Amino acid sequence: MINGDDGFAQRLREMGFGEAALVTKISGRTTSLCQVNGTRIALNHNAAMAILVEALPAGVR
Amino acid sequence: MVGNPNCGKTTLFNALTGLRQKVGNYPGVTVEKKIGECYSQHGRPMKIIDLPGAYSLAARSPDEAVLRDVLFGRREDTPQPDRVICVLDATNLERNLYLVHQILDLGRPVILVLNMMDLAVKAGLRIDTHQLAAALGVVVIACAAVKGEGLVELKLAMSRSDLPLARHRWDVPAPIAPAVAELQASLSDADAQSPLIARAEALLLLTDFESVRIAGSKPLSARTAAVLAAWQQRCAREESNWSGTLIRSRYDAINTLCREVLRRPRPPELSGSDRLDAVLVHSIWGWLFFGFVMAALFFSIFSLAEYPMNWIDAHIAALSRGVKNILPPGDLRDLLTDGVIGGVGGIVVFLPQILILFFFVGLLESTGYMARAAFLMDRPMSKVGLHGKSFIPLLGSYACAIPGIMATRTIENAKDRLVTILIAPLMSCSARLPVYLLMIATLLPAAALPATWKAGLMLLMYLLGTLGAFGFAWLFKRTLFKSARPLMIMELPAYQPPRLKEILRQMVERSWLFLKNAGTIILGISIVLWFLTTYPKHPDPKASAEAQIAVSFAGQAGHLLEPVIKPLGFDWRIGIGLVTSFAAREVFVSSMSVIFGVQDNGEDTLPVRDALRAARWPNGASLFTPLVCITLMVYYVFAMQCMSTIAVVKRETNSWRWPLFQIAYMTGTAWLVCFAIYQIGRALDY
Ligand SMILES: Nc1nc2c(ncn2[C@@H]2O[C@H](COP(=O)(O)OP(=O)(O)O)[C@@H](O)[C@H]2O)c(=O)[nH]1
Repeated sequence: MINGDDGFAQRLREMGFGEAALVTKISGRTTSLCQVNGTRIALNHNAAMAILVEALPAGVR
Repeated sequence: MVGNPNCGKTTLFNALTGLRQKVGNYPGVTVEKKIGECYSQHGRPMKIIDLPGAYSLAARSPDEAVLRDVLFGRREDTPQPDRVICVLDATNLERNLYLVHQILDLGRPVILVLNMMDLAVKAGLRIDTHQLAAALGVVVIACAAVKGEGLVELKLAMSRSDLPLARHRWDVPAPIAPAVAELQASLSDADAQSPLIARAEALLLLTDFESVRIAGSKPLSARTAAVLAAWQQRCAREESNWSGTLIRSRYDAINTLCREVLRRPRPPELSGSDRLDAVLVHSIWGWLFFGFVMAALFFSIFSLAEYPMNWIDAHIAALSRGVKNILPPGDLRDLLTDGVIGGVGGIVVFLPQILILFFFVGLLESTGYMARAAFLMDRPMSKVGLHGKSFIPLLGSYACAIPGIMATRTIENAKDRLVTILIAPLMSCSARLPVYLLMIATLLPAAALPATWKAGLMLLMYLLGTLGAFGFAWLFKRTLFKSARPLMIMELPAYQPPRLKEILRQMVERSWLFLKNAGTIILGISIVLWFLTTYPKHPDPKASAEAQIAVSFAGQAGHLLEPVIKPLGFDWRIGIGLVTSFAAREVFVSSMSVIFGVQDNGEDTLPVRDALRAARWPNGASLFTPLVCITLMVYYVFAMQCMSTIAVVKRETNSWRWPLFQIAYMTGTAWLVCFAIYQIGRALDY
């Protein structure tokens, strides 16, 4: 789920970071690096805080 | 030509047009307008406009707004495109198809270029281009721009006069349809848009948030604006998320399409770039590597550059001597040697350092590491209220604030961009180097001290400037430019082996710009300065150079200035240097050598140094005490002393307000800090 600033949420979705996207976190603590749909997208802390991701059940990839 | 950032659009554009390019600006906005020319199969010239890279037509920056407005035919300065070349990164088809999907709505003839096919093949992706072409009804061309593959086919397609119009099987999502229909009608009637473009624009307007409007684009008609406002209010009242619905609908269509045309190896795994990233942006290893890169950068700038710089210096001196031998003594000779050759030569010496810096920046950019550096720097930058993207312009400003300020264009948030522009000139640029070097040489007697002292002092100045920049960013973000904490989303491109040809091309381009500056602005200033120090002539023709300067225009100005700078320990002669070096900081050094009557033997700065050390106040006290030397260096760390930067800031911010503010706050800070240092130093008996 994406919260916060509408324009920002729109851009995230347009970049494929939408509600249905599969996200793999690669690195980072405050600023995080995620892999979505084969691209690497960096999000800073504030941006990442606006996104709620759900963990996939173990074994599913 | 349109496409996502990093899809290889520039590479393709260069491959198609070669050197037949014109770079300018879209009037009213600081967005680069690149137009190139190539020839069709039948030898007819074709004009290609390289539009700014963008993820979507819902513009979040002036760059993206230009793309949108050109495609909608809303810019008077650009003719309506009669075909659109959409460049896609084939390794990331889904995301790249999003922009394509929006563009297909326009009903203009489209050519899809699947670029980076070499990488896609390597990654095991199989794309059925025939099926893609059939599904969308457009011409699809597989291509690898760096290898020149697919260019001939592309040119053939571009030459076709019978390009098919896209068959775009996609219906406007039902909740938005009534609004789109009404707005479309208004756009056709009141704004004279063709039906398909009107529909595309209606879709965009209805799902846009705070989209960027730019000068020079035709605004909406009053009627359309009213219709739009009514629907927007209704959407807000019903709390519908039209934007989300539309994006989902587009991605659904894209995913269906991709299931038909794209085969990827199972299971999707982390790519080489991902594995590299796990190390290079790691919270420990990443910083170590970053530190190593920065150390290598500064080492090259300060030590490697010395050899070519000495070489250039020697040749300029030889040239000056040559002219002195040929011409009879007199004003013309002095103008040529002291004014022209001395002034311009003083700038050209920095070319090696600037080339090295551009080489590094090019290397970091073309390998994809620059985005990682920005990623790492995001956290420290967020402490002062900026985000990682501001790091790239600031790094560039160590060479010269001008390319640095131009690089701020990638920052979407206007306030963040302005803050970055305001602080960029505080990063010690290479023009400050000669001032630092001269002052350090005057301050520390030659061989007596180890070189590390000098390097340490120099580093201290760089540190002071950097801290100053961050301090002011913090201050500005808390006062003048209060805004919500910035949100950053940045795509990190895949790592690539460096492309030396491309880097060299950029180095040549940028250094040519630098030399052009030296040949025009600096040349002019050097001549003016020479004039101001030479006239009016001293009544006694045999008067010393120093006496001559005292009566000259420049000397008079220096005397006027003296009361203001005396509390900093500077006299009128230093004052002249401060005034002339307002043109460019390095002019200070040549001014000092002119003013203190140094016989330049062209070997090194030794004589200037000795002349400065011998300089006295009228009461016999030494002028350049160690305290004054340090104060002067600190002055140059902070003061805004560069006309070219002022001109660029004016251009980039479109007003005189910010460059004037910049002069006031930077030079004001310089004065205050220097006042404190000098007065405290004096009180402590230094
Ligand atoms: N392997 C490969 N790399 C490419 C290709 N086209 C461009 N690149 C590289 O991709 C990077 C981004 O290209 P550029 O033209 O600057 O992208 P732009 O941001 O769309 O203008 C550069 O390092 C190019 O050398 C291609 O077809 N194959």
